[in-house]
Amino acid sequence: MHTRLSSTTANATDTGRRQADGGGKYLTFALGVEEYGLPVLKVREIIKAMDITHVPQMPSHVRGVINLRGRVIPVIDLRLKFGFEARENTDHTCIIVVDVTHLGMIGVVVDSVSEVLNVSGDDIDQAPDFGDQVTTDYILGLAKVKNSVKILLDLDRVLGGEGPVLAEGH
Amino acid sequence: MRDRSDRGRADRALDRIQTAMDEGMPLDAVRGALLDLASSIDGGSDLAPVADRMAFLASTVTAVNAADVIDSLRSLVAEDGDVPEPLHLVDAANVATTLVEPVLAEAAAEPVVYDDVAAYAADQELGAMFVIESLDHLATIEATILQLEAAPDDVKLLNDVFRPFHTVKGNAGVLGLNSIQEVAHKFETLLDLVRQGQHPMGPSEVDVVLRSVDLLTLMIRELPARAAGQVGTDVSQRRAGLLDMVSRIIDGAKEPELSEPAAFAPASPALGSAAGKSDRRDDGQSTVKVNTRKLDALLDMVGELVIAQSILSEDPMLVKSRDERLNDRLGQLKRITSELQRSAMAMRMVPIRQTFQKMARLVRDLSRQSDKPITLVLSGEETELDRKVVEHLTDPLMHMIRNCIDHGIEHAQKRAAAGKPITAELRLSASHQAGNIVVTVTDDGAGLNTEKIRAVAVERGLIAEDAGLSSDAIHQLIFQAGFSTADRVTQISGRGVGMDVVRRNVEALRGRIDIHTAPGRGTTFTIRLPLTLAIVDGLVLRVGGERFVIPTFAVRESLRPLPDQLHTLQGRQRMVRVREKLIPLLHVGEAFRIHGACRQIVNATVVIIEDADRPLALVVDELVGKYEVVIKSLGDAFGHVRGVAGGAILGDGRIGLILDAGGLLALSAETDAVGTAA
Repeated sequence: MHTRLSSTTANATDTGRRQADGGGKYLTFALGVEEYGLPVLKVREIIKAMDITHVPQMPSHVRGVINLRGRVIPVIDLRLKFGFEARENTDHTCIIVVDVTHLGMIGVVVDSVSEVLNVSGDDIDQAPDFGDQVTTDYILGLAKVKNSVKILLDLDRVLGGEGPVLAEGH
Repeated sequence: MRDRSDRGRADRALDRIQTAMDEGMPLDAVRGALLDLASSIDGGSDLAPVADRMAFLASTVTAVNAADVIDSLRSLVAEDGDVPEPLHLVDAANVATTLVEPVLAEAAAEPVVYDDVAAYAADQELGAMFVIESLDHLATIEATILQLEAAPDDVKLLNDVFRPFHTVKGNAGVLGLNSIQEVAHKFETLLDLVRQGQHPMGPSEVDVVLRSVDLLTLMIRELPARAAGQVGTDVSQRRAGLLDMVSRIIDGAKEPELSEPAAFAPASPALGSAAGKSDRRDDGQSTVKVNTRKLDALLDMVGELVIAQSILSEDPMLVKSRDERLNDRLGQLKRITSELQRSAMAMRMVPIRQTFQKMARLVRDLSRQSDKPITLVLSGEETELDRKVVEHLTDPLMHMIRNCIDHGIEHAQKRAAAGKPITAELRLSASHQAGNIVVTVTDDGAGLNTEKIRAVAVERGLIAEDAGLSSDAIHQLIFQAGFSTADRVTQISGRGVGMDVVRRNVEALRGRIDIHTAPGRGTTFTIRLPLTLAIVDGLVLRVGGERFVIPTFAVRESLRPLPDQLHTLQGRQRMVRVREKLIPLLHVGEAFRIHGACRQIVNATVVIIEDADRPLALVVDELVGKYEVVIKSLGDAFGHVRGVAGGAILGDGRIGLILDAGGLLALSAETDAVGTAA
């Protein structure tokens, strides 16, 4: 079923240039065989994988902290967050530093970063409903680009839940 | 038979309009319909003579008179009815006024409700600025009025109190914050009278000004929260009462509850003259307001620059190179960076003056409440501290002052009997000493009663009856939670809560607090704090591939234990014996689940740390070295990780977690508990 993205998506105003139908620029990256996209305005920078200082008592997908030009940034392993198996870093492994509403800068470890794509609203489908078992509210939509499908992520939803987890003990 | 005359038609039309109105037709429509009716009367009709009047009446329709208008129209239209006297416009106006007046009067009788919250919400950006600036002004008013109390004729001080009220009143008016504006205006009026010599500046006036500062501070501070929907404090009674009080003062009525008993010397603290002078000298300094986040970002960058520069200068290639020019340039870079760092650190420093001035107000209030005349002498208010330190110093200082006034300083009669001046002296001072900030609180009261403290401590089971403690150690007992030698618990102190908080706050700032007392002569509390919280002197430890930092002041010693020094409890190595003392062990690698940590304690290093006199032995792989490291908070995202107090940026730019002795002790107690339960 071909449905336009509703114009009332949660962070349409956050991402400014994203149009009401979801079209706009997305940074695409890979986790294993799947390709994802992040609204480009949420991306602060991309850095090569670096030593992450482990912080104890955190869930496994919270890898620790890094020093980003004097600021301490928490780093999350997106593979583990999505329930995939952990994998060794490769030459392509990167940390994407993103700006999450209410939480500030957070780094996410991804397998590789591809490119910035300009996706038109026409090419975005709503995520299909998998029933009650799987919540897909963190997916902005599925973008059809050339012959592949990129899963567009709503970062605030993916990582927004980290707030309570990271603040364990408060 | 249907009356087809114009009158008949008009009458029926009026019927229809009346019915429609009764059924809820809006007034505009009623008016419109009546006007249409009036204008539909053509020149040859019977009704022509009254058409104008009909139109006029129709146009006067309002909520209160619509029914009457229709009745009047009916009279005009009625075939054999008397045509009423032409309605003079003047009469109509009177009618309208008579009808409208009661409505207006009713509205006027309702109390005017100012909606400051709505006004604030209408322009939050301006509102936020108003809040910041006004709170600043109120602090100035408070500080200045206290000075004015000691020197009521000082014209400059009078102006310094008048002006902020004037400014706050003006700004509040611009924003539509009418409740606030009203109060500020009232006080501006009072102070203007004083300024012009038409009213004295006495204790009642000072009191009422202080009350206004309290009230306005409360009202202004609550604005943002209330605009966000939270319920604020209901100050309507307090406000009305205060405005009333000022009115009566202006009118010259005596305020019974504010006047002092004749025999009593005024208990206002005279700020030391040194303080007064330096305050005024400061007026010339120009400052800028900078958003603290911008400042922090700048300081972070400078910190990074220092690290980048040091990595560069330690680069093996550069160290090997004998190129003089290159070395010179590197040296230059290093000098500039150091200077930049010093400037950046200096930006974080603020004078302790404002904190001390808050104390002035407290001393004045407490002095009155407890009926003890006290002079507060300040020195060293220009001493600068890291602004975070200053923020956290306020509470401990307040507690200590409360304590001094409540327990230390004797009542007037007792002082007289002891040959002391009736007015007690409380001194607050701040200075730099050997890389530390030293803040002292001194009173010339009765001093600590060592014997009494000891007795209470024994009674509470804090120490053994025969424990041979030095006087100093006994005095330190007053910092224990729940300790109090007060015979009565007053509103001020005596609950045994204050001094415990004081020590904890001071230790949280990585400081120390010492007591020096002489019976009958007085007591001095001395707080020593590090100059800045941003850098800590730390011992860097390695556990597996991770590095940790423990602040040097928490470290007692380190050793490589021999097997016979290790003792087990229930099969697990739990303790190490050092010079006949058994100290609990915490294996950091285990507690933090670090891969590759050294497992065999005999091959590892043990570092003995201490938190509030409780020792803990940490098992780590090795000591890396002693360094000064820049402390970074891990951020809100990490909330509270037990045993970890933050992150330190190490010399190579990587992060080492800073260990927190207290947290580690808690962690070790927990793992022990888990172990024993298993």
